[in-house]
Amino acid sequence: MRKAAFYPKIALTNIKNNRKFYIPYLLTCMASVATMYIMLFINSNEGLKNMLGGDYIQVFMALGCIIVGIFATIVLFYTNSFLMKRRKKELGLYNILGMEKRHIAIVLFFETIFTGLATIVLGLITGILLSKLSFAMLFRLLKFPVPFGFNISFSSMGIIAVLFAAIFLLILMSNLFQIRLNNPIQLLQGGNVGQREPKSKILLAIVGVLALGGGYAIAILTKSPLAAIPLFFLAVILVIIGTYCLFTAGSIVLLKALRKNTRYYYKTKHFTSVSGMIYRMKQNAAGLSNICILSTMVLVMVSTTVSLYIGIEDIIATSYPYDVSVWGNNQSDEQISEILGTIENVASQKGIEVKTMVSYTELDLAAERQGDIFLPKLDRSNGISGLSLILFVTQNGYYQLTGQEANLESPSDILIYSSDIPVGDEITVLDFDFNVVQHLDTLPFGDGYSAWQVDSHYIVVYDMEVLNSLYKKQTEVYETSYMPETHIQFDISGTKEEKKAFADTLREALAVTETVTENGETYTATYYHIYVESRQAGEDEFYILYGGFLFLGIFLGLLFMLATIMIIYYKQITEGYEDKERFSIMQKVGMSRQEVKSSIKSQVLTVFFLPLITAGVHVCFAFPIITKLLATLQLTNVSLYTLCAVGTFAIFALCYAAIYALTAKAYYKIVRHY
Amino acid sequence: MTILEVEHLKKIYTTRFGGAQVQALTDVSFSVEQGEYVAIMGESGSGKTTLLNILAALDKPTSGQVRLRGRSILDISEKDISAFRRDNLGFVFQDYNLLDTFSIQDNVLLPLVLAGKSFDEMNRRLQPIAKKLGINKILKKFPYEVSGGEKQRAAVARALITGPQLLLADEPTGSLDSRNADSLLKLFGEINAEGQTILMVTHSVKAASHASRVLFIRDGQVFHQLYRGNLTNEELFQKISDTLTLIATGGEASA
Repeated sequence: MRKAAFYPKIALTNIKNNRKFYIPYLLTCMASVATMYIMLFINSNEGLKNMLGGDYIQVFMALGCIIVGIFATIVLFYTNSFLMKRRKKELGLYNILGMEKRHIAIVLFFETIFTGLATIVLGLITGILLSKLSFAMLFRLLKFPVPFGFNISFSSMGIIAVLFAAIFLLILMSNLFQIRLNNPIQLLQGGNVGQREPKSKILLAIVGVLALGGGYAIAILTKSPLAAIPLFFLAVILVIIGTYCLFTAGSIVLLKALRKNTRYYYKTKHFTSVSGMIYRMKQNAAGLSNICILSTMVLVMVSTTVSLYIGIEDIIATSYPYDVSVWGNNQSDEQISEILGTIENVASQKGIEVKTMVSYTELDLAAERQGDIFLPKLDRSNGISGLSLILFVTQNGYYQLTGQEANLESPSDILIYSSDIPVGDEITVLDFDFNVVQHLDTLPFGDGYSAWQVDSHYIVVYDMEVLNSLYKKQTEVYETSYMPETHIQFDISGTKEEKKAFADTLREALAVTETVTENGETYTATYYHIYVESRQAGEDEFYILYGGFLFLGIFLGLLFMLATIMIIYYKQITEGYEDKERFSIMQKVGMSRQEVKSSIKSQVLTVFFLPLITAGVHVCFAFPIITKLLATLQLTNVSLYTLCAVGTFAIFALCYAAIYALTAKAYYKIVRHY
Repeated sequence: MTILEVEHLKKIYTTRFGGAQVQALTDVSFSVEQGEYVAIMGESGSGKTTLLNILAALDKPTSGQVRLRGRSILDISEKDISAFRRDNLGFVFQDYNLLDTFSIQDNVLLPLVLAGKSFDEMNRRLQPIAKKLGINKILKKFPYEVSGGEKQRAAVARALITGPQLLLADEPTGSLDSRNADSLLKLFGEINAEGQTILMVTHSVKAASHASRVLFIRDGQVFHQLYRGNLTNEELFQKISDTLTLIATGGEASA
């Protein structure tokens, strides 16, 4: 034992002998390192910093890094516990053969050094090799031109090396702690500690049902998308708690109930699988709920980010009906013609042709609805709940927007479209009585309120005079109020870049520069009273934002999926070793090989597809709240999201089935008696 | 009536790469009569376990024949072998082989469940056996909650519940302390007295001395056999000891 190379050699041999268990563990470490490197690399990229919207991406990547870091710690600890459980016997043997715990600690130390070093180095290499590829992928998603060149971020490598070294150190410490606690005999038996049948935990099951029910209820009942954001996280936490509790306790309660039913239980098909599942449920529960939650995360993340990205065109079309929109508050006719003049000037200056142009004035009003009467809502204590939003336009504006004549004959005539609960034929808004000429079936214009998902009404009134008197009344009752907004929207000729440049120039041309004297200092200030937005610039922003989301979604989705695969693999392998003896006994007692096989199949199948099905159920229940969240991100195309969710689930289920087939094979191989 | 006939059994194990051949059984022939209690003795490596595995239809011999009630068990198809084993043979193992996942009751009922019996019938069969073996108080417990002796009695109950033609026991007292071993052997004697045919493999002289006939196996052959005749357990014990000494010192005896 004097030779210095002795311990490292043993450590290496140990790793080699346990490769069946070590390889997936090492692969996960590597993948985490590589993913983290790529994210840090993008985060610290100089080129991105200078790009418009690049800061979003950097925030996303920083966020991703934190997620990967937490995730890696949890998963590595989890898989390490599998490894240690299997290896306790071996370590106990060393102990009995005369190695002191101190020596075992040295061996473990070297093992950790080797695995840590190997995974960090290989992970970094993989990360560096893939960084260029993912960078290019990200830029394609963002619709940025892909930059040339290849570089390596040494600072990122440093951060990762330190971080993962710390994780490995923690794992080593926990392993050493476990060994210290056990005597050699306990270590020897470590692999098969006699497991007691789990007790039914009624209380835990009830907590699980309540938490899950609560989470589901929040997801279904939340009406307002703005409230949905904090509630969504609450729902997620509740569902996670519910999943853990139910897998731990609910399944045991259920299985025990099945066992009580003698007619059901004492059948060859159910006998072994029910008892086997009860026996294993305790250790299974954590693994199964982990698989379930990871699967749900993958499904939600990928489906939402994909649908957001695909939906960008939709979002652009509704948010920006024309190339350029110009709007300002409370513009007089003279001011409007001034703006029109400026638009013409800039256009002729740039050699750009202004095509279809519409202009209209709209007025927003928030009120409390009582049947067909809309009253001022002065009590603001409960936010936007109980609020009705009304958007007014004149019939001239309606014609401009839709190309249809409203044909209103008197100032009290209106057309109305109601989003939720329709109104009667006569309505009153802040003391004004209106006579509904027509109830419109479809949203005639605008999309301003859809994201709020509150009771909203779109009203076409006779003329500007009606609009202005509504405005005056509103100012009276609320003291402050929305002002009528004048919108001028038009399409222009030219390339994308020219259109963006046009909007920028127009914005400057419409700005007012004033000389201000304040505290004795005089300076000039530029005021942008008139807002100018370009569809093309908006498009860029959406691509950066949602492209970044998608990139993160896919990346984390892949990583989580890898973790799922690995947990499943470890479960199958460990269970295979545990079941080997059980099935050999059953064969001796007279169970045919066919029966063994079908019993394994039913058991493995249940255990396997339970998390997948539960994940599917989670996703279904999350559907209402997710569509509302997407609405706050301006994606209102529910069928697109449905399609993405179903597609993601289908692909995920396929991968899952493939993993199942592979690991089930490994399992059979271990269990096979002869 | 002859219940089991074993003729010229031979078993050669070939290592995986076709290298060395190990002859576990050279030429074993014997028969067991209905209601007999036969002990097979031999040292480790004498081929006892191989023999038992072949009798249990868990392994196939290289050549030879095994007949249970005149029916060759070697010709039974793979498909039917489990049902055959379940219906005709009962097993008691040294390490009990109870399943941790089942309560004692479910462990005992396992063969009946596999046979697709109704729960009422299972219950009807369970009660008298549980009472006879003194396990009716621990039926709801799990194997890890009861003692070794109780586990082995549960295993015997499991072996007997199908009413097998032949009870095969592989070192049934091997894991038990002497008190529990005595009580198990007494139990075997009682079962045998009620007409159950028992074939037991053991290297415990004490266990073998309870049998009505003792076969000695050495180097894969039946080397010698002893009949109880009118001997008491103690006298048979003495005779077995003498025979074993003879074998150990390399003497010759006639089979």
